Amino acid sequence: MSEAVVPPRALWVPFPLGRPLGVVDDSEFQKSVMRTAFGLLDTATEPTIEDYEIQAPGEGLSENWSCPLNLSTESSGSLTDRLLAEVALLRPWAIETRRQRGRTLFGASGAGEDQVDELARAFASIAETGEVTSAPVVVDVAWAFDMPLLARHIADDLRSFYHEALAAQPGDTAPNHDALNRWIFGETVLGEALLLVADGLTKASDLPMAQLVRGLLIPEGHYRGGSAFPEETNFPINPGT
Amino acid sequence: MVRLSDLHPVEAEHLSMRALAMPAVGPGEWITPRPLDQATVAIVSTAGLHRRIDPPFTVGSLDYRLIPGDTEFDDLVLSHISANFDRSAFGEDPNIVFPIDRLREFASSGEIGGVARWHYSFMGAMPDPSQFEKAGEEIGRLMAQDGVDIAFLVPI
Repeated sequence: MSEAVVPPRALWVPFPLGRPLGVVDDSEFQKSVMRTAFGLLDTATEPTIEDYEIQAPGEGLSENWSCPLNLSTESSGSLTDRLLAEVALLRPWAIETRRQRGRTLFGASGAGEDQVDELARAFASIAETGEVTSAPVVVDVAWAFDMPLLARHIADDLRSFYHEALAAQPGDTAPNHDALNRWIFGETVLGEALLLVADGLTKASDLPMAQLVRGLLIPEGHYRGGSAFPEETNFPINPGT
Repeated sequence: MVRLSDLHPVEAEHLSMRALAMPAVGPGEWITPRPLDQATVAIVSTAGLHRRIDPPFTVGSLDYRLIPGDTEFDDLVLSHISANFDRSAFGEDPNIVFPIDRLREFASSGEIGGVARWHYSFMGAMPDPSQFEKAGEEIGRLMAQDGVDIAFLVPI
């Protein structure tokens, strides 16, 4: 993509998406990447793409990750009840991560930082009813998005909550993106709810954006073994917003 | 940017198709800024990053959000639409996406001249980057008025 955009000076880095400076909490590694990029100011005399050859240490540590928590809940309950039970098991750990970091990523959907149960109920409701046109009504929550896009941002908030819970586990056990998704879709009620919401979006064939939002909801490879994006690549977008 | 070989095959194929279909944009005018140790640096992110009080990005957003240089990390959230990148790293250390502390350290050590007062964030995942021309020109004017010499672009 950089070849198409032709920036004046670009540093290609071999790090996963979401980690452009390579290693968290390693200021020297991050500054080394930045110094190399800034160095192009002295060396480049025409549009240049330089490779950064140094791998991020520990990048693959989470390949064999498994969740140390037993999240098995009563399987006969409703999806809402089971999702709430799962959230309750994770809550003490998520609170600990928030305490340690002094911040959370939770809340981009419009929910308050303490409204995890409200969000779980809303997401389970979308999953159980297949209703992807009207936003779930939740007291004291001013949604930041309209449906169906709201559904993927509720899901993102819940994913952030789950990951923050896992980040508090003893040892270097926080999963990377791939491991987190394998766990969510393989072992959690949240994964079950995500796939039900995706099915609801599939059925809403007359709703503009629904098929696109399905692709924005489910990471590649986790929707029926493949992509959740529609084959049609001319997505309807709203450039005015 | 990640290697295509390290991505899920479906994602790799998707990005490859997007890259091939992407219209050529550059190159722009070649500019040599003042020496780094005298230059003011601003961050431009495409992570869909913004303050909690700001309106979130949505599908096809072509606008941008201002991030004041003294914004605290607990005030920043991501509303990027993609489900295919690792948000957990930003949760653990926001500098890995928005390296404002690293810039401050460079300024303190004299490696750069200074840190801009304002930084900028866009929504990425846009198949036609030429649509950002208007917003790009606008933040170019804003950066010039803020005394910025170098824009440090950090894709997600």
